[in-house]
Amino acid sequence: MKIVLYLHMHQPWRLARFRYLDLGSGRSYFDMDRNLGIFRGIAERCYRPTLDRLGRALEEFPEFRLSLSITGTFLEQARLAAPDVIDKLRTLYRTGRVALLAETYYHSLAFLVPPPELHEEVVLHREMLRREFGAQPQVLRMTELAYSDDLARFAESERFNGMLAEGWEGVLRGAPPTARYCAAPAPTVRLLLRHYPLSDDVGFRFSSTSWNEYPLTAEKYAGWIANTPGELVGLFMDFETFGEHHSARTGILEFLSALPSAVRTHPGVDWATVDEAIDGPPRDPLSVPYTMSWADQNRDLGAWLGNDLQRSAFEAAKKVGLAVRQAGDPEITTDWRKLLTSDHFYYMYVSGHGADQGVHEYFSSYDSPYDAYANYMNALTDLRRRAHERLGVPVLK
Amino acid sequence: MSPRARKSGTHTRGTRPSRPAGQRKRTQGRGSTPGRARPKVRREEAPALDRSRLDELSEQPLPTTRSAGEWSSRRLLVPSHPLHIVMVGWEWPPNHTGGLGVHSYELCKELTKLGHRITFLTPFPGPFTPVEGVTFRYPGGPVSGVPAPFPAAYWSGGTPDSPFWNATDGYNVWVEQLDGVDDADVVHVHDWFGTVGGAALARRLRRPLVMTVHSTEYDRSLGHPWDHILEREQVGIRAATRVIAVSRHLRQQLIDRYHADPRKVRVIYNAVRPTERLAQIDPHRRVVLFVGRLAAMKGVDTFLRAAGRVAAQFPDVLFVIAGEGSEYSRLLHLTAALGIGDQVMFLGKVSDEERELLLAGASVFVLPSVVEPFGIAALEAMAAGVPAIISKTSGVAEITSGVFRVDFWDVDEFASRIAELLEYPTLRRAMGEQGRWEALREGWPERARETVSVYVEATGGSDHR
Repeated sequence: MKIVLYLHMHQPWRLARFRYLDLGSGRSYFDMDRNLGIFRGIAERCYRPTLDRLGRALEEFPEFRLSLSITGTFLEQARLAAPDVIDKLRTLYRTGRVALLAETYYHSLAFLVPPPELHEEVVLHREMLRREFGAQPQVLRMTELAYSDDLARFAESERFNGMLAEGWEGVLRGAPPTARYCAAPAPTVRLLLRHYPLSDDVGFRFSSTSWNEYPLTAEKYAGWIANTPGELVGLFMDFETFGEHHSARTGILEFLSALPSAVRTHPGVDWATVDEAIDGPPRDPLSVPYTMSWADQNRDLGAWLGNDLQRSAFEAAKKVGLAVRQAGDPEITTDWRKLLTSDHFYYMYVSGHGADQGVHEYFSSYDSPYDAYANYMNALTDLRRRAHERLGVPVLK
Repeated sequence: MSPRARKSGTHTRGTRPSRPAGQRKRTQGRGSTPGRARPKVRREEAPALDRSRLDELSEQPLPTTRSAGEWSSRRLLVPSHPLHIVMVGWEWPPNHTGGLGVHSYELCKELTKLGHRITFLTPFPGPFTPVEGVTFRYPGGPVSGVPAPFPAAYWSGGTPDSPFWNATDGYNVWVEQLDGVDDADVVHVHDWFGTVGGAALARRLRRPLVMTVHSTEYDRSLGHPWDHILEREQVGIRAATRVIAVSRHLRQQLIDRYHADPRKVRVIYNAVRPTERLAQIDPHRRVVLFVGRLAAMKGVDTFLRAAGRVAAQFPDVLFVIAGEGSEYSRLLHLTAALGIGDQVMFLGKVSDEERELLLAGASVFVLPSVVEPFGIAALEAMAAGVPAIISKTSGVAEITSGVFRVDFWDVDEFASRIAELLEYPTLRRAMGEQGRWEALREGWPERARETVSVYVEATGGSDHR
């Protein structure tokens, strides 16, 4: 049994309050100060202490492996708010026991936008990894762990050897999530699946005092992993799990530090990066005809495109994209791509039903989904104007 | 046809004129303000009805005046001289519990405008909202000008032996024997209440009977009709020369269930009348609404200044201010100074009904109060599905998420929020739905339980001290 620990690092460019009256004002859509302020706070609570602990684990435990995905928008903010975080990441990568994953530069929903947007954003991200880390990723993870047969074909065309996906019963149909699969329409693309019960034990439940397994110790957790049948166990979660979603007070950082030694007590259990884990024969081909994600109870895109506000905003963004592409202005294109970041749509989620709502409110940077929508639409409307002006299209309003 | 007799003991009926709130309504009735023209009223005595005549009446041969085919051309026929219409009615504003009173009132008002004259018969002693050209006649005798209670007999029960029935029968007999209407051109009854008397009167006068059916006993009783009400419906439908149904659906029901001759059943729909003030609002224009007193604390300034920021970009929008108060003339000057006079309308104080109509048609509701302990107007707007923009200082802001919350001094933010709601229909719809849900999920029942809880605390009986 090999543990594939994969942590996702991302921060979006959150929007400033961009009022309807700000249309045409030339103001920036993005609140630089606020974003960098938030980044500094998270760097203090999470990025620095967690990276330090991971660094020590790599020093002390030669068998320890780690995989990371780092979005372009994360790196941009880190460069401005906490450049030492990038240094720490480089140090980790240089151990040779850390794999970096490919994805869209903007953590975007580009996979739902007409080509070649997705290709271009993945290329941007790949260039960033090469430039900053000298890395050449083999495995692709799509925004919010989105996966489908179409995305597997895309990964194949981009010459990736593997992709990540949710280990969801709905597509496994009784097959175990603890195995290496390949994409049915693109067999050269190996699939690594998230073991969501074990991942969520840490990601969501760790600090929940009402959980009957509370408190979770590294020993107990390592025991669960050892008792899980199969070849690979994918522990995929947000990097911010450690110190941000669960604050340091909960003992999450100590838990992380203690995990490698706890795992060592189980002889059959080892660690692997995603690059190592895809190396081997697949158990079965897996077909996923629709887009699956790692979010909420339904594991679909409902968290981003589930309601009228979200769909309306995304459709509007797609439409503006046509003008943006035609205009060909790098600044306009960059702003548009920042607006495709999935987080903006997540903020427009309107709940109603229970379990997922708490999660959504936690992650929102707005008063309400209506605020999020109005603000987003204003920015998009302004962007459309700019694109139209660039194209010489008469602006109606 | 053998309609199933309804089990006795259930008195909750559709249009049986129950009047639980009758006394209260009477004292706050609309339109009967002192100083207006007094309605023409005659009071008479009501004798008893010989019920054995029901069958006889319903077997009357029908005089026909026009062929049925004429109607299908949809060309409206115009009489050669003004008509005198004897309308066998029931309720009349301000004393009415259902739609029939309003229907009679609006219809008669328009009929008189067309030059016709109406003698309106009702069992109730008024007061009556006067309409020029309508003479009211009713049995029994209250003191003139003093609101009299409805005779208990009219609403004390629906079984055939109840005082209600005796009174209804008395009304019908009185109708049949009505004098002074020999010059009538047509007798017009509504629903079943006065069919027996109306049919007899028409026969006596040798004039045609017209009956309007607003609903049927089958529908009102959800399929368990009272026989004696069905009987009266039948009498009217058979005796009438023409029957008016308020929808095609109802017409078909009259044909299918009451065996009405299809050639004589016409469809005339109901209508609404916007109040004269609301009629000033062009239905094509979108409305951004403020409802409240024109007082400094209500922040109407902010509303107007915000309107000034976005009015030019939304030329189809009307900013409507419903309310009156000491700030009126100052706000009027402000409107002029902002140069948005053509897009602002001061409606003055509106009635409850007018407010409901306003809300039903509004695109955006704004509550910009500087101080607002609660702000129930915003809750009403939300309940009507109108997206609301409210100041953060309003108490109502504490219980809602489907609204925009704005600092009361932030004119630009109010303006932007208004514009955003006008500009993005998806947003408008989503907030309207959310607001409606939030406003209605907890009502007065919940507030009453909470209040009781406070009583318990106060009296020292709480388990949770």
